[in-house]
Amino acid sequence: MGIVKRDFYALRGNGGRLLEIFFWPVLELVIWGFVSVFLRANNVPIAVSMLLGAVLLWQVVGRAQGELAAMFLHDVWSRNLLNVFVSPTSLAEFLTGHVIFGAGLIALSTAVMSGLALLLYGFGIATIGPALVPFVTLLVVMGWGLGVVSIAVVIRFGESTQSVAWVLSAAFQPFAAVFYPVGVLPPVAQAIAHAVPASYVFEGLRGVLDGHGIDWSGVAMAGLLDLLLVAGALAFVAHALRHARRTGRLSKFGE
Amino acid sequence: MDVLTVTALCKRFGSVVAVDGVSFTVGAGEVVGLLGPNGAGKTTTLHMVLGLTRPDSGTVEMFGHDMARDRSRALARANFAASYLHLPAVLRVGEILDVYAHLYGLRRPAARVAEMVEMLDLGPLRRQQFSRLSSGQQTRVLLAKALLNDPGLLVLDEPTANLDPDAADRIRGLLVEQAVTSGRAMLITSHNMREVERMCDRVHFVSGGRIVATGSAVELAGAYGVDDLEAVFLRVARGGAPSSTT
Ligand SMILES: Nc1ncnc2c1ncn2[C@@H]1O[C@H](COP(=O)(O)OP(=O)(O)OP(=O)(O)O)[C@@H](O)[C@H]1O
Ligand SMILES: [Mg+2]
Repeated sequence: MGIVKRDFYALRGNGGRLLEIFFWPVLELVIWGFVSVFLRANNVPIAVSMLLGAVLLWQVVGRAQGELAAMFLHDVWSRNLLNVFVSPTSLAEFLTGHVIFGAGLIALSTAVMSGLALLLYGFGIATIGPALVPFVTLLVVMGWGLGVVSIAVVIRFGESTQSVAWVLSAAFQPFAAVFYPVGVLPPVAQAIAHAVPASYVFEGLRGVLDGHGIDWSGVAMAGLLDLLLVAGALAFVAHALRHARRTGRLSKFGE
Repeated sequence: MDVLTVTALCKRFGSVVAVDGVSFTVGAGEVVGLLGPNGAGKTTTLHMVLGLTRPDSGTVEMFGHDMARDRSRALARANFAASYLHLPAVLRVGEILDVYAHLYGLRRPAARVAEMVEMLDLGPLRRQQFSRLSSGQQTRVLLAKALLNDPGLLVLDEPTANLDPDAADRIRGLLVEQAVTSGRAMLITSHNMREVERMCDRVHFVSGGRIVATGSAVELAGAYGVDDLEAVFLRVARGGAPSSTT
């Protein structure tokens, strides 16, 4: 798989990116960790595990989306995109390659952060139990869906829209109910939250940490929304590429 | 059978008519050049040939595959290099060739990469990052990438623009020799008239999106009653017609 190799070489050749991959998640982990330690010391009844679990899981969405978009944008910046598009590699193979490599990166960064959470705050991610498997899967898929959307936006509207790639997943965070229940949101925001797969995961996370077991209907709902998101994203990127071939925009990625 | 058949290609960008009814063929072992002033529509034509841009009308058939429907299979047997393209900046030369050997699905990637390194004299650069190379060295890596899959059709957009005369001469020699020995078809644009004279069996002059004159360098010079292709270029670019005496 040429794309996977490419991603690996690119990461090895650019130490700064490796730093980037860990910097933000670790920073958030440290800040929220100390916030929860402080609150507990002042007898605010708060579960450290809630905050840390939420931080750990939310980074999965951001990484999945951000890395997928970054791997594509690196080809744009280094004026390599046309070389890829005149090779027999199809768009599907191209995305699959990046996704496979991205999965490895997410596993790595989650492992590092879990280790750190245990070391610094005594929070073992295993506390979440077997629910971790569907939760992480749902979040990764949501991240990839958003990643494909960011790629499609750049292909469709041009390089100047690349900032979308940096903010897209963060824009969903308020509606993902990461640190608070959906119920505290105003009605309109609640409606949006109900369409965001991650909100069911974080509601589910709080349920599990409270000892209620897995809410399978929430998992199913999130799964359904993930499927819709990915299907929509793939249709969008295919449309964007057709449009770029017609308008000559694709050919301009060489310059 | 022709390697490439281009029929009545048209492309308009907004109000600009970039390509206006271009047709030509390239046969096995044949080197065909597109010449013409800036903005004539050469790059747009090449990009339509490669499936990067979709024609408004007209067809491109490569190795018998219709590019509108069967792009991947045609592209597996073609390749492209252009003076304006680069390769991933942080990758080393050897890594880049390895990646493209895989993207082209080569059966013995390592052996082929070694051959390319040898052929284009990249041995000393193999472990260097692409971004650290001089532009002439980068051009050689791009050409190595373009020759990796031993393409039956090689499309080159101003391939030697960044090379010193010595390197350019050696690359031309290499390309022409391979066209002869391996029967590779080539489609080239260039603003270097001597390069075109040396390499191309046939030249199409493009102006305003149309082919306005066709022939070998010698035939064209004869038709316009001038000494060389450069003089033909100046005549055509300035709207001159072939001289009626020949
Ligand atoms: N992607 C695009 N979007 C809009 N206009 C374009 C695009 N590509 C080319 N054009 C226009 O089409 C015309 C033909 O351009 P093209 O790049 O094909 O010329 P060229 O013959 O390759 O010129 P040069 O010798 O300068 O490379 C020009 O007027 C150019 O501005
Ligand atoms: Mg051009």
